[in-house]
Amino acid sequence: MAVNTLSASVVQPRKSFGWGRFLGRFLIYFVLTLGLSFTLLPFVMMILSSFKTNVEALRVPPTFWPENFTLENYLKIFNDPQLPLLRFYGNSAFVAIFNVCSTLFTSSLIGYMFAKFEFPGKKILFGWFLTLMMIPTQITMIPSYLILAKLGLINSLWGLVIFSAVDAFGIFMMRQFCETLPTELLDAARIDGASEWQIYWRIVLPQLGAPLATLGILGFMGNWNAYLWPMIVLQKIEVRTLPVILTWFNSTHTGQPAVVMAATVLIVVPILIVFMFFQRWIVQGFTMTGFK
Amino acid sequence: MKQTLDRSRRRHSGLVISKRRFVASVTVPLLLYEALGIFVLAWAFVLMFFDYSPGRLGGPILGLGGSNPFVGLGNFIEMFSGDSVQAGLFRASLRNTLIFAVAVLPLNLAITLPLAWLLESIGNRFKALYRTIYFLPVLTSSVGVALIWMSMYDPQAGWINAIIRAFGGTPVAWLSDPRAGFAGVSVAMWAVIIAYLWQDYGYNMVIFIAALQGVPQELREAALIDGANSWQAFTRITLPLIRPTMLFVCVMTMLSSFQVFDIIQVMTNGGPNNQTQVLMLDIYKSAFRYQNMGWAAAESFVLFLIVMGVTLFQMRVLRTDWEY
Repeated sequence: MAVNTLSASVVQPRKSFGWGRFLGRFLIYFVLTLGLSFTLLPFVMMILSSFKTNVEALRVPPTFWPENFTLENYLKIFNDPQLPLLRFYGNSAFVAIFNVCSTLFTSSLIGYMFAKFEFPGKKILFGWFLTLMMIPTQITMIPSYLILAKLGLINSLWGLVIFSAVDAFGIFMMRQFCETLPTELLDAARIDGASEWQIYWRIVLPQLGAPLATLGILGFMGNWNAYLWPMIVLQKIEVRTLPVILTWFNSTHTGQPAVVMAATVLIVVPILIVFMFFQRWIVQGFTMTGFK
Repeated sequence: MKQTLDRSRRRHSGLVISKRRFVASVTVPLLLYEALGIFVLAWAFVLMFFDYSPGRLGGPILGLGGSNPFVGLGNFIEMFSGDSVQAGLFRASLRNTLIFAVAVLPLNLAITLPLAWLLESIGNRFKALYRTIYFLPVLTSSVGVALIWMSMYDPQAGWINAIIRAFGGTPVAWLSDPRAGFAGVSVAMWAVIIAYLWQDYGYNMVIFIAALQGVPQELREAALIDGANSWQAFTRITLPLIRPTMLFVCVMTMLSSFQVFDIIQVMTNGGPNNQTQVLMLDIYKSAFRYQNMGWAAAESFVLFLIVMGVTLFQMRVLRTDWEY
């Protein structure tokens, strides 16, 4: 009896609020869709503008849908000898892939060592290491630039990769994962005569697949979108990466908004689609490491 | 018997040696790298006490001394009490950075927390789609974001002024009018704040969604049964439980907004009248445009101290001593 009255008192108000609940649902979806439109519209505008003629793109008030769908902006960019897009894609890909490979290698190796080996001074080394790596880029930017200048690596893509071969977040994350690996497994391999490098390569690395994928895609994204440091190091046009070339292109095409939007589409959209496929890993990585 | 014992001992010591060799082969390069890091840090530290420019021929050690003289705390004294152009510019950028960060944090929380909560409360069918789209700007390169918003802010053909005109208002030169302002902050600053928020809110949203998913449903339901309405359940149960996430989000948002660079450099490059000149931009210009690297190093140190201070303060205020 007591149970009955309790459940009745819980259920009843919900029943009588049927319309209220419907209204609540409607409001929730309304607010969410409003936010969605605000998020999506700038992208839509960019894509639509890139198909307008420059005359139409400058018109007041602006048109939403292009009157004459034209590909002239894209053709102009593809035929521009000053803008060999493939080359800049190559530059960005080189920097991003090289950096991802080197950080994945160093992070897993160093993280594994800090997790599974004992040696004197380990704690101090690890602590010092993390502190050093937490120093923000604006502090190290100037001396790093001076060192690159001394080494003659300004305007070289190598200059962009040598300082970023070790990544504190990666090492920290890999150490966390390596600590969960069973030590017995490693010892069994040792008894069977595997060398330490073989154990790292054949046993530890395959176990780290998921975190390495997360770290890799985050690193790729960070490198691909990086702007400040590449702009400082790459001063010659032909060695630049995509974000740097995009601002340069914008500054040399003032008054031609449709062409600039087409260039933005060509540089931003392809990789955006790739990132969308990897979104699950990216979100996982963000929530796991808080690394941006 | 003795023989096998010997053999196993030999084998054991062989393992130890190969382990040691492995550790050494990893730590030695690591130590070298760390030494390079310490060298870079020490150089950055020393630079801020000099009037250093790489174009001048200085002394024998790192080009310091000679025509790059030691000035002691001169750079810092100049920054906070000097009347030179660069000192004025530093103080303006310090003020602008504070305005930017102080505006971004509450606006970001006011957008991301309710949206994350609403998104968490709807069915699974649309959740993934909504989240993917909200997350798109985070994945976009900030240069792309800046160019997209520049075209939206265009005084003539931009959409924002088109909407203002449609409602009978006067169009604004968002990124170039130094006189227009709102709530004591220039419109150019508001313009970059909005673009920055647009790029950034998806990030905090996914963090909040993850945190909200971690809140045990029973606690909330218990409160509802006890007669709380859903607003009370949110403020009294959910909000306190996601406090560690709030701390994380506040620290990360503050950190990145104090170091904002890309969007502002592309959209306004500090203009109009230095109204959007922020510290990172000022450091970049001092160091690489005017080659005034001692000064820039001192500025970076100030920025570093501010960021550290704000982080420690937030950690104190938002710390929790309990778990659930």
